[in-house]
Amino acid sequence: MGKKENIKEMINILAIALRHKIGGIVNKDQIYSSRYAKDAQILIREAEKISLSLNLNDYDKSTIRIELKKKLKIELEKKDFLDYKKFDYMDDEIEIVLKDLGLS
Amino acid sequence: MYIMKSKFIHTISKGSRFNQIYIPKKLEHSFEVGDIVEVKIIEKKVRLFYSKSIKHLTPFKENIIKRIFAEINQFKEIKQIFVIGSFLTKNEDYNDLDILVVLRDEKINEKLVEKRIYEHLVQSLQLKYHLIIIKESILNNLIKKCPLTRSMLYNFVSNNNFELTDEMVIDKNHTKFLLMMPEDTLKVKVASRVLYDSIRRLITIQRFLDKKDSIPSEIDKDTKKILGETLYNYTMNNEEIDDKIRNMLRAIIKIKLETINKKLDMS
Repeated sequence: MGKKENIKEMINILAIALRHKIGGIVNKDQIYSSRYAKDAQILIREAEKISLSLNLNDYDKSTIRIELKKKLKIELEKKDFLDYKKFDYMDDEIEIVLKDLGLS
Repeated sequence: MYIMKSKFIHTISKGSRFNQIYIPKKLEHSFEVGDIVEVKIIEKKVRLFYSKSIKHLTPFKENIIKRIFAEINQFKEIKQIFVIGSFLTKNEDYNDLDILVVLRDEKINEKLVEKRIYEHLVQSLQLKYHLIIIKESILNNLIKKCPLTRSMLYNFVSNNNFELTDEMVIDKNHTKFLLMMPEDTLKVKVASRVLYDSIRRLITIQRFLDKKDSIPSEIDKDTKKILGETLYNYTMNNEEIDDKIRNMLRAIIKIKLETINKKLDMS
């Protein structure tokens, strides 16, 4: 896979990971917050493996932020069983994960 | 001064009409009829309540659980405590101590309570804990509709009586929520343990939809039957797998997902 494809794959995984994390936050059955945070963490680590294999410049990082937001919105829209508040958490969670991966 | 120093520690015993504390013979002249005394609890007796599936634990494990309960019971927000997970069922290779703490339905900062309990436990009994905090009403709702919660509470030791209700309610949204991770393993390359966990989760959900009990040992048996002994051990231990095995595991997940979704549509 080329760099472009790898970035695309990484964004896909991050979007799914954040959907899990946000799903855990908005779900009223709080017992799952930690479980879904764990699922999200598993996926974030997968994305991190790709990230570490790439030499990402500032332009790439800025693209990742923009594309991740678009992709996450689509991911959240698809899951209509998640509370509508899910969209309120997008920006904060993107910020957290990008910082965690050193991509902010 | 003499009066203030006269004290003894005793256990309350069962009387025919009233429970009682006897004055030790050697102190009968210090504690006389008509004297006024103050009685206070210095250590609450901890009783252990077992799920039907747990026959007994070793005295060592029982003592650890009693000490945990005694420590957590000091928090006034607590309604009930459960020890769950591999500590109860495995003889040696158990993981962290899984503790489910049920809070009273009051306005409580759960995160703060969780942090306080965790720190207190680590400080008083240096063990590795996995703490789950939940409010009573939410747990009561979950045990009716959530296969994973039912499975989690199939084996337990608690400080109070508890029985899993036979009432099972199919909540489509909640079930779809639980299916998210197995669905995503079809798209994302994850470690073999994640695929193993997903298959177990799907078996648990399917059993629930078939109105069967979420018995962990039965779920294990079903998982072994589907994967075979070797692959079961391989994935459970998170060993590296090649694409051929990955595709095989994904095929199993796909079929299970289709079956579950059909059942959900019919319910």
